[in-house]
Order: sequence, then structure tokens, then C-alpha cells
Amino acid sequence: MNEPIANSPPSPASGSAVPGEGGVSPDARRPWHKRRLLPSSPLYATLRWGAAGLFAAIVVGLIVSIVSQSSQAFAHSGISFLWSGTWNPDAGDYASGTLVVGTVITTLVAMIIVVPVGLGVSVSLSELMPRWLAAPLSTSIEFLAAVPSIVVGLWALLVLSPVFATDVEPALEGLPVLNRIFRGPAYGPSVLLASVVLAIMTLPTVVALSRTALGGVPIADREAAMALGATHWQVVRRTVLPGARSGIAAAITLAIGRALGESIAVALVIGNRPAIPHSLLAPGATLGSAIVNQFAEASPGLGTSAVIALAGVLLLLTILVNVVGQLLVRRRGGRRLLGVRGAVV
Amino acid sequence: MSKLPSMQVALDGAMPDMGLAEVARRRLVVRDSARRSIGRRRTAGRAMQVICLLAVPIALAPLVALAIATVSKGAGALSIGFLAHAPTPEGVPGGGISTAIVGSGEIIAYAIALAVPLGLFIALFLFERPGPIASAIRFSADVMSGVPSIIIGIFAYAVYVERFHHFSDVAAGFALGVLMLPIMVRANEEAMRTVSVDLWEAGISLGARRSRVARSVVLRGALPGVVTGNLLALARGVGETAPLLFTVASPTFAMTLLIFNDATQPYPDAQQTAWGTALVLLALVLILSVIARTVAWTLNRKTR
Repeated sequence: MNEPIANSPPSPASGSAVPGEGGVSPDARRPWHKRRLLPSSPLYATLRWGAAGLFAAIVVGLIVSIVSQSSQAFAHSGISFLWSGTWNPDAGDYASGTLVVGTVITTLVAMIIVVPVGLGVSVSLSELMPRWLAAPLSTSIEFLAAVPSIVVGLWALLVLSPVFATDVEPALEGLPVLNRIFRGPAYGPSVLLASVVLAIMTLPTVVALSRTALGGVPIADREAAMALGATHWQVVRRTVLPGARSGIAAAITLAIGRALGESIAVALVIGNRPAIPHSLLAPGATLGSAIVNQFAEASPGLGTSAVIALAGVLLLLTILVNVVGQLLVRRRGGRRLLGVRGAVV
Repeated sequence: MSKLPSMQVALDGAMPDMGLAEVARRRLVVRDSARRSIGRRRTAGRAMQVICLLAVPIALAPLVALAIATVSKGAGALSIGFLAHAPTPEGVPGGGISTAIVGSGEIIAYAIALAVPLGLFIALFLFERPGPIASAIRFSADVMSGVPSIIIGIFAYAVYVERFHHFSDVAAGFALGVLMLPIMVRANEEAMRTVSVDLWEAGISLGARRSRVARSVVLRGALPGVVTGNLLALARGVGETAPLLFTVASPTFAMTLLIFNDATQPYPDAQQTAWGTALVLLALVLILSVIARTVAWTLNRKTR
């Protein structure tokens, strides 16, 4: 890959060794294989290393500050802060258990919605539709990715939520069998609505990345399947989808990461009740929504520290998911997907 | 693919001393079986294709509904006064969002000042010095771009607000900058990767300094990708709310916070303001995205 010329430390001392500057530089007296062929100007070297160092400082600072600020809460509640019961600041109970459960449920339901829809869309765009139709459609779905989460949240709260309260949720309660998870009064704001919002927000991620993965399956593979007598759909189902499996897995992991961390839109529509929801129509809370709602009200000291500890738990959760996702991508499909991700966001 | 027992029997049993009639009969069996197979597979495939295609309108429906709602409800709020006047207290009509626009602009300016140069130099570092340090930076940039924005807001709060005991646009700009930085780094690096190392070496062998080669060869070659990547990261930053939540003094000092605040108010006036601000924000973000794509397209045509 990018392996320019090795052995060129950008130390300021080598700055004078640029050809054409006159005089015999100290570098010229070295044995040839130890010469610093590519001197950096001191300023440029400083800027480059400074930038890299600053980035490292930001990353380390982020982790250190979250950990140190949350230590008070962990000292108060012990390590059981991570899993034990209730969040009730008035009673002095600080624990993330119910919020973690709420976060996992909303993310799970969102994925149940978004994975089939997202895969269907990416297969349609990449395999089934003619280019003149697929190109504008995929552009418009990518525009959905650019819509700020607060705008999605506003729309979900003021437009979607009343529709859910009057039509969607009563209809779901009428379903046989499924009404075990859809029961209770239909408020509008609920775990289900939050999941739907998350599904809408993660859809572009899933579509863009899976579409790239599908498009990356070699044409030779498709032709081989066709030569064996496979129909169009069989080519897609037996050759293209398996070939893109690791890319699709990476897309879904990334979407999970974003769904876990989304806080503003969720805070608007989930109803904010920090307890384990007994039904998908009940209000709930996630780590992110609790941080948004509790931070302003938190008492200085322990209260603030507990909210920051919630951020710590959320950070742990998302880093876990992201690292797993990256290992998945690296092990199977190389690095190209991550690069695409940089271009998509 | 499904097994075809009858076809197999027909072929396996074929013998050289078979009568012509038997050969013809067996040929028919094979043909029928193949026809049935392709028919069955085609039908199943068509059904699955229709299911896939049905997902497209389902995916587009929210986008269309959202766009229609924002435009129709937001357009009613828009006026010159809306953009130029300061907000009024709840219940007093005639307020605007000028403070939020100015505040957002200031925050974005700080964020750009932090993230754009830093992102460029970090990407140059990754380009010029591959090795364990670069890998570590690349890995942490990947992880950082997955860190929820609310956590970055908390970080900025801990680093700045709690230390200096006041909310500030600088803290908010820092938070947004930290949020955009990993995206910019990865996009810049990806763009620089399209510049061949041969060109870089050619520049160096001409006697140019690293900084000169970085400017005239690497950056120049990577320009379309760099501009596009930075603009897209900016579009993302402009729409963020969570990092501002704990760093900005008042919701009237940033557009996204104003929407968040007004959305939850029971007053129709406040909701109207929220829609109007949402429309302004949406337009801004879309314009940024469109410019990003156009720039990439135009520069690509020029340099290639």
C-alpha cells in the first residue's frame, strides 16, 4: 500500500538537507543507507505530528473525562450500576439496568423493521431495477441520511405520533397473538414509535452499505450461476447475497451502533419513563433519551456524575458493537467498506 | 436447485439399443421436466422480486411524508422577519430566529476552524507515515466516528463547561469539531489514497519538500474527495443537536436546540417556529449535500 520511502524521521535537524540549499549537510556525511532522503521542513513536521498528537489527546481525553466524571456514581452505586434495577434520582437510586434494557429493545425492534426493508431496497436498487430508475431513488434515500435527526424527531412527534395514537396502535392491538406485545393504552409516544423512528434513521446506512456490497460481487460469479441455468432471482439469492454477506453484516452492525446512540429524536418520541416497558406500546426510556432528559435536572455532584456514568455505559455499548463490526469487516472483506462508509455518512 | 428424479431416471436409463420410440418418449420426459422446473423457479423468483420491490415505496414513504410536512408547515412560518428578528417570549407573537441563526453560524465556524485543518494534517500523516501509529489513529478514527454524538456533548461539557463554569459557543464548536473530525479524517484519507505513491515519489525525487509535495501533488489530486468529504461531514455537523445540548447557554442560540425546545411546547406559535426552523435547517443541509456532490462531479471531470 502506501509505503513511500522508509527511514525518514521528520526531525527538525534534517531540515537543512534539502538539495539545492548549498553547503554539505550533516546528512551527506552519513553512510548512504542511513541518509535521510526526504527531509521535512520543521514547520510541516510539527503540524503533522501535532495534529496526530492532538487527535490522540482528544480520544484519550474523551475516555478519561467520562471515566473520571462518572467515578462518583460508581462509588455510590457500586459496579452494579451497570445492570441493577431502577433509575430514580428522587430516591437516590442510580442504576442503568432498565435503561440498558430499553436501549436494547428499541434497537432490536428497529433492526427487525429495517433489516428486511433495507435489504429489499438494496437488492431492488442494485439487482432488479434499471439504472435510470435506481440512480435517482438511491440519491433520494441518501438524502434521507442528510436529514438532521432533530427534524425527523420533530416530524415523528407532531405528525407520526398522533397517527400512531389514533390508527396504528389500536390496529396492532387488534392483531391475534401479536397483541401480547402490543397492549395497553395507545398514547402515541412509545417504545414502538421510537423504534420506527430509529428504523427510518438507520435505513440509509443499511441501504448505502449493502448496495455497495452487492455491487462488489464479481460479474463472473453471476455469469457462472447463469450458465448453470439459474434464473435471475436464483442468481441474486444463491450467488450475490452470499457473496455480499460480510458487507451486509457490516452495514447492519453500523446501523445497530447508530441506533444505540441516537438520543435526541428518541427522547422526543419514547415518552421517557425509566422502567422496563411491559409492552411495545408503553412509554420507555433509553440510555440516550435518559441522558438528554435527566442532565438538565440532575443535581450537581452525584446526579450529574450518574448521568455521565450513563454516557459511559452507552460508550461501552457502542464501542463494543463497533469493534465487533470492524473485526467482522476486516476478517472477511478487507477494508474497502470502511472507506465507503467515510464517503457515505 | 431442485432435484429432478424423473429426469434423472430418463437419462440414466438411456441405452444404445433403445428403440427410436423410447428415445423420443424419454426426450419428452426430460423436456417437460425442465420446463416445469424453469416455470416453478421463475414464478418463485418473480414473487420474491415483487416483495423486494415493495420495500422501495415503504422506504421512501417516510422521506416523502417528512419532506411534505416540513415544507407545508414550515413555509407558513417563513418570512423576512422570521429570519431577521430575535425570538420573543412564549405567547408573544412576531418573534424570529435570528439569534439561533447567528449562534449556529458561530458554532459551525469554530467547529470548522478546529476540524478542517486538523483533519487534513492527520490524513497527511496517515498518507506519509504508514505504520503502527497510523494504524492506531485510523482505528480510533473509525471507532470515534461511531461514538454517539450525545457522548461527545458530555465530553465537551466535562472539558470546558464544568471547568470554566459557563456555557459557551466555543465549547459547542469544540464538540461539533470533535464530532466531524473522524469523518473528515477518513474521507480525506480515502481521497488521498486515490493519489498514486509513484506521483508522490516523483515529486520528492524532483527535490521538492514534503510539504510542497503534500500541497501540490497529494492535496491537489485528492481535492474532489477532500472537498466532498468535508462538506458532507459539515452537513452532518450542522444538523446535530446532542453535542449542543450541554454546551450552549440558551436554546435560542442554536437552530437545532430551538427546534428541540419548541417541539415540546404546547403553544401552536412555538410549534410553528419549530417547523420554520426545521425548514431552514433542512434547506441548509440539503444545499450543503448538493454542493458537495456537484463539487465532486465537476472537479472529477476537470482533473481526470
